[in-house]
Amino acid sequence: MIELRQVGLKYGEREILKNVSLTIKDNTIKAILGPSGVGKSTILKLMLGLIKPNSGQIIVDGIDITNMKETELYAIRRKMGMVFQGNALFDSMTISQNLGFFLRENMKLPEDEITRRVAEQIQFAGLEGYEEQLPESLSGGMRRRVAIGRAMIFKPHMILFDEPTAGLDPVSSKKILSLISSLRHNNNLGAVIVTHIIDDVFNVADSVAVLYKGEIIFDDVTEKLHHAEHPFIRSILSDKILEL
Amino acid sequence: MKVFFFTMQEFFWFSIRAFVAIPKAKQYWRDVLDQAKICGADSLPIVLVSAVSIGALLAIEVGNLLEDFGAKTMLGRSTALSVIRELGPLLMGLMLSARFGSRNGAELGAMQISEQIDALRAFGTDPIAKLVTPRLVAALIMFLPLTAFSDFAGLQSAAYMAEHYHRLDPGIFWNSVYPRLVAKDFVVGFLKAPVFAIIITLVSSFNGFSARGGTSGVGRSTIKGIVVSSGLVLIANFYVSKIVLENM
Repeated sequence: MIELRQVGLKYGEREILKNVSLTIKDNTIKAILGPSGVGKSTILKLMLGLIKPNSGQIIVDGIDITNMKETELYAIRRKMGMVFQGNALFDSMTISQNLGFFLRENMKLPEDEITRRVAEQIQFAGLEGYEEQLPESLSGGMRRRVAIGRAMIFKPHMILFDEPTAGLDPVSSKKILSLISSLRHNNNLGAVIVTHIIDDVFNVADSVAVLYKGEIIFDDVTEKLHHAEHPFIRSILSDKILEL
Repeated sequence: MKVFFFTMQEFFWFSIRAFVAIPKAKQYWRDVLDQAKICGADSLPIVLVSAVSIGALLAIEVGNLLEDFGAKTMLGRSTALSVIRELGPLLMGLMLSARFGSRNGAELGAMQISEQIDALRAFGTDPIAKLVTPRLVAALIMFLPLTAFSDFAGLQSAAYMAEHYHRLDPGIFWNSVYPRLVAKDFVVGFLKAPVFAIIITLVSSFNGFSARGGTSGVGRSTIKGIVVSSGLVLIANFYVSKIVLENM
């Protein structure tokens, strides 16, 4: 379980997050919805300890990681997989090497176990035959699936998705969303999805938090979003895709 | 001013972490080898070209000057001191700052912008140990032989110009070089290699890690890395010479 308690964050004079509190339970999919540039991705980075808040606490599985040192955070981070908005695949490595990199790097598993897990993710992502290709030779949707496979290969408890369907065509988006849904059903994984596309929320999320001007203005099960009365939520329900 | 001191503080801790991770370099020995090839073998041509060029120019200009005083036989001594103590290592440092430093800045900057460095951290890998320390170790190893090659090429080109431009017998040239060179001359020259390796690698890598703002940000951080490391190479060149020559 991940908890943000009264988290505040400033970049210089600009206040990004104001007393944000969120709870993400295990085996559930939580969406964080909001316009671009509002600080949604920042919340994911806070959950991983990649950046530190100015105030408040971040608790992962009961452990306060707010002021942990970088070296202490590595063990916490391995409980979570992260799928970056731009995928962040290593462009000098093949798909297999990208998938196996962190297993070799951090888990010291036997080579045959690494090969088995890589093959499992290749199959899960439907990328058979592309094992030795470089990421640049794949389509956007395929690269996203590799990034999801890389996040899953650790067998984490929770996966954090930063705009998982942004920049993809409708067919690829649909495939990615069904992949995310299948994670929970087949692997008992929890997930946090940051998105500005409201249809993604209704397609996969159990609950949703809406971030607006640095504050959480709605946090409940997804179905209740239809009944929310905040003017911003009413406007996004009619527009479907959020723009600044 | 506040930003400057904050950046200096960040750079200090970045450097400490790169040095502390040196024992982990054996885990990344493939990266060390790759970087050794980039800053060593691949950089050799530009280092040799600059050394040959400066050696030849020195021989012509200093030879002309010495001829006015009837001291042309001292040409070997004069050029050897300039090349071994100062110009060989300095030009090598500047060339590597442009070549190796720019590559570090651009590559690491692109990794920063595309969140690859965040991905390393997110999955529990220390990006400084993985990306910076192998570069540092490789540069520390390779800059010494590059300095030797640079000195050798500079002296050979000076000897060639002494013989063919100033019509000076090679025996006279080399006799004024070897017997008069002392340990101090080599210490001054070769001590600069690790100092330059540290400056160029850490400054360019730090700027790469600090890249912000898309592809133009990568360009800005790369240029900043080259300018700052070149300036520091020039300053370090002066102080290493001064400290060694005053204390040996």
